[in-house]
Amino acid sequence: MDLVFALAINGLVWGLIIALIALGLSIIFGLLDVINVAHGDFFMVGTVVGLIVAERTGSFWLALAIVPLIGFLLGLVVERFVIRPSARLASLTIVTTFGLSMILQEGVRATFGAQPRRMAAPVQGTVPLFGVDYEIYRLVAALFSVACLLLFFVFLNRTKLGTWIRAVRHDHETATALGIPVVRVCAFTFALGTALALVGGAIAAPITTVEFRTGVDILPFCFMAVVIGGLGNLQGTIAAAVLLSVMEGLVTSVADPTMARVASLAVMCAVLLVRPHGLFAGATR
Amino acid sequence: MSKAMMDRAALVVLFAGLIAAPLVLTAFGAPFWINIIAEIMIWSLLAASANLLFGYVGLLSFGQALYFGFGMYGVALSITHWGAGFWTALVIGILAAVAMAAVAGALAVRLTWHYFAIITVVFSLIFYFLAMSSKSITGGDDGLSFSAPPVLSFGKTSLTLADPVTQYYVIFFVAALCYLIKALIVRSPLGLAFEAVRENDRRASLIGINVYFTRWIAFVIAGALAGAGGALFALFGRYASASYMVYHVSGEAVVWAIVGGAGTLLGPLVGAAVLILFRELISGLWENYLLAVGAIVILVVIFAPQGLMGAWHRIGRKPDAQGDDAPAEAYAEPPR
Repeated sequence: MDLVFALAINGLVWGLIIALIALGLSIIFGLLDVINVAHGDFFMVGTVVGLIVAERTGSFWLALAIVPLIGFLLGLVVERFVIRPSARLASLTIVTTFGLSMILQEGVRATFGAQPRRMAAPVQGTVPLFGVDYEIYRLVAALFSVACLLLFFVFLNRTKLGTWIRAVRHDHETATALGIPVVRVCAFTFALGTALALVGGAIAAPITTVEFRTGVDILPFCFMAVVIGGLGNLQGTIAAAVLLSVMEGLVTSVADPTMARVASLAVMCAVLLVRPHGLFAGATR
Repeated sequence: MSKAMMDRAALVVLFAGLIAAPLVLTAFGAPFWINIIAEIMIWSLLAASANLLFGYVGLLSFGQALYFGFGMYGVALSITHWGAGFWTALVIGILAAVAMAAVAGALAVRLTWHYFAIITVVFSLIFYFLAMSSKSITGGDDGLSFSAPPVLSFGKTSLTLADPVTQYYVIFFVAALCYLIKALIVRSPLGLAFEAVRENDRRASLIGINVYFTRWIAFVIAGALAGAGGALFALFGRYASASYMVYHVSGEAVVWAIVGGAGTLLGPLVGAAVLILFRELISGLWENYLLAVGAIVILVVIFAPQGLMGAWHRIGRKPDAQGDDAPAEAYAEPPR
């Protein structure tokens, strides 16, 4: 029973971190109509940059502050030179971001090396939690993710820029007519999504391995969350990320992790075929 | 010389060149390249599969490696378990891929646009994970090795794949047959229906085309092309592995198809040839050559979305007013 509980908690923690990354994917999709196949690699870049900055400066928390800024700048550059020139044909952005994913992975392999590394958690120790000794850092990471998610929704609903983003998402043409700089809002949103992926990577770095291939595993999971939550439905994405992750954790207690992943993919398949606008479509549309 | 004549001349040169290649390469003492060209022809079939769906029907599939994998395992399992002969194994491999594509396609082509791309990835991921975990059947990551049966036997003498030149011609024969069938299909009324569906599915349905069936049959034919590639690849390497079913392989097929030219007959061959030759020539000199491949992919999509064959076709043609390179607004609204 304790094991099942531990796996469920693990699933919850991991789901909250994934939610942060999937949220980035979801806002990029919802606003720019771009399926970003390189999003998992942005996460991977976050883990690598987080590790390097933390090693150089000696402070994990400083790294956690710097990484999103780097992510934002990276996102602005990528949007300008890769996404915007290919955005006129939506399906082609899948191909350009696939090329981008090759560049990011190979670039990290060339500079950081191919050897997987582990990062020491900045907070050591365990706390007893319902009869299980649980790592404190994982709880800190989960709380940090929740804080970021809340901050994001405050930004989206309470600031002028957030309102612009929502307006552009609702209707490009009307937003243009109202004088909203649509292209710049799109660029900002892509950069914001990238920053979310990188900060998710930095917070997850002590829990996962740090290497150039990490993004390959994360990407399908983020896509499952985005699709099951409904493409572009932000709250749905977060709910789906947490639900899927907890479900995979629970399935792992009776079967191997591969079967857990197959189970989630089967759920996603069913959602795509039966409710292509996502599990929670009724709530928003 | 007119454009059509130039095209035909290029086709003849290509055909003759591929037939003569083993003899020329042996004469120049570079037999290593015989296998490289054979491999290019095999992979070009996977690219042709992605190209048929994207270039002719307008559906971007990121899961064609699944049918490639079924082709591989159809061959490997029928040879190891049933002792199938060469051609039987090849046909079983293609049929396995076709059967899978018929089932997956019936579900997948209900969706279009991004949803189609996503569900094709989902299907291939599900079977990738299943193949990886059922090691007793598939060999998982390590794969299955087998010895290929003779291609033809006359009494005591037999033609085997052990000789690279024989192997080359067998692969050339099957690949050429696939391209011939593909050419006949895209020129047939069915091929016109593909293009009608690609251009405007609503209008296509109003003139009496069954859009769902047209997309499905294209999906099945694409599955057969990918399956033929996988079956040949298994026979070429005497090996089948689940690692070829991962979505990165599908992605490469899309890249080859687009770099070569979506919606052109020989684009997949050109794209696969350019990128595989690039890999063979550069990877020995520069370990991180994938950086350049990624950059090439992005540059081709931005500056020559019609691909290399599209650029070739455009030479000498008057620029059309409503051409494909008419500037379109960035961030167009998604169709709802």
